[in-house]
Amino acid sequence: MKRKTPAKQKEVNSSDEQNIILDSIADGVFTVDKDWRITSFNRAAEEITRVSRREAVGQLCKDVLKADVCESNCCLRTTMKTGKPIVNKKVHIIDAQGKKIPISISTALLRDSKGKLLGAVETFRDISVEEDLRKAIHAKYSFEDIISKNHRILQLFDILPDIAASGSTVLIEGESGTGKELFARAIHNLSPRKKHPFVAVNCSALPDTLLESELFGYKAGAFTDARKDKPGRFRLAENGTLLIDEIGEITPAMQVKLLRVLQEKTYEPLGATESIEHNVRIIAATNKDLDMLAREGHFREDLYYRIYVFKISLPPLRERMEDIPLLIDHFITRFNAMQKKNIQGVSEEAMSILMSYNYPGNIRELANIIEYAFILCKGGLIEKKHLPENIFFLKPDHDENEIVSLRDAEAGYLLKALKQNNWDRLKTARQLGMHKSTLYRKIKSFGIKLPS
Amino acid sequence: MKVAISVFKDSVSTVFDASQHLLVLEINGAGEQKRAMVKLKTIDPIRRASQLSEEGVNVLICGAISMPMQAAISARSIFVYPFVRGKVEDVISAYQDGKLGQAVYALPGCRGRGHGRGRGRNRGTHCSWR
Repeated sequence: MKRKTPAKQKEVNSSDEQNIILDSIADGVFTVDKDWRITSFNRAAEEITRVSRREAVGQLCKDVLKADVCESNCCLRTTMKTGKPIVNKKVHIIDAQGKKIPISISTALLRDSKGKLLGAVETFRDISVEEDLRKAIHAKYSFEDIISKNHRILQLFDILPDIAASGSTVLIEGESGTGKELFARAIHNLSPRKKHPFVAVNCSALPDTLLESELFGYKAGAFTDARKDKPGRFRLAENGTLLIDEIGEITPAMQVKLLRVLQEKTYEPLGATESIEHNVRIIAATNKDLDMLAREGHFREDLYYRIYVFKISLPPLRERMEDIPLLIDHFITRFNAMQKKNIQGVSEEAMSILMSYNYPGNIRELANIIEYAFILCKGGLIEKKHLPENIFFLKPDHDENEIVSLRDAEAGYLLKALKQNNWDRLKTARQLGMHKSTLYRKIKSFGIKLPS
Repeated sequence: MKVAISVFKDSVSTVFDASQHLLVLEINGAGEQKRAMVKLKTIDPIRRASQLSEEGVNVLICGAISMPMQAAISARSIFVYPFVRGKVEDVISAYQDGKLGQAVYALPGCRGRGHGRGRGRNRGTHCSWR
């Protein structure tokens, strides 16, 4: 066997040492030669880009990093050209799974001991947490923050710009936790009003008198303790958008006042003698069936038709089960970042339970379930034992004493198995002990709609 | 049928979300009929998807693409070949020969993404690089 010379051996050891040092750094680090080909790529860089070292080394850095500035304003190119380092420049990359990640980049030249230029080095840090928190603080949510591949939501994406541009009143219907406010904010941020405020008010949280002063404000002396003028939400949302949440909860008296404000585009603060004109776009949201309430006489029809210029109905989570893995991934990333943990994902068994639950609290409930699991799970995968017990007990879709036909029972059983297996037909067929073509035939015959 | 490729110089643009030019080819049974360069007006996903739709694009071949951008474009019934790299002319030939799925046209770490082959992505338990 050919032995390495001491000099060669020293070189190999030194290279190994370098790799160990690079891998111990929490920031992503890679180096390039003068032709922009990657010469080293550390462990953190693998984790952030989701490209393995094996695949990255030797490739053009732009193909590996996939940053939005690679073609227009490459940081490494600037450093190579000017010789000056770049420090903490914020850019976005797209990882190998299609996730857009904000990162902070620093660059510097790489020279050998004699000062000869070898290439350049780039270090980068995932700043998703900071960005996430900044978004949460400023509530700057956009369409890109809506996570879905459900066909009904995708159809909404298609019409969202037209709705946003129209300036018309929009009614958003959906169960609690389906993301009504997120959609309202996305409409606002897509609209020409995006530079003006987005203001939200929840009607169910306030009694009539308080709601009136919240919406329209009051003048000094309007009532005891009203020492100075207070602007209402309409004033705060001037030129912007006002989300009136839980509009189905307001009393008939308040409905009349709101109708007048919408019809005449004016309002009167409490204690004021003159009306104020407003230029506010209204988005109303409710978890009730307003159409039904109006027909039953519990909600004024004239107000209903005033706000129902365009209606968006958000499907509950149980009708967009294909989004559950995406949402779980999103919440795991968020909680990992916020809690400084390194949960890798969800075990197959836990995923199967999560896919079978019917989520009465929708996405908010799913977020709470993952947050609960984060308390118990210290690392690795979230297992069944980390999930809250209440989700194991499936509520039957029908009364158990009710007799259903054999065909319906079989269809229900098949649907449940498909959901448990995340709509994977091969896995379902295997679990049920039938051939895949038999399963396909049954799916077709029962008219089961699979998520696209 | 109209096939669009996001381009930068003579290659597929690395990141579609930031790319500025689109090469639109009209292809029928007899081969390529016409080509035109189109400037992409916006980086907003919905408006960009809307522009592709207005151009009558049926198929988009592009580099790295974010999930919201791909969702917005797919919602317009445009078929997306994502995470593609290579010289434009080579990619066009590969598309016409049905060879776009070959490793040589995939961005590093993205082999098997999209083209209906990306099953299991984003499940949280799988990472292509592990």
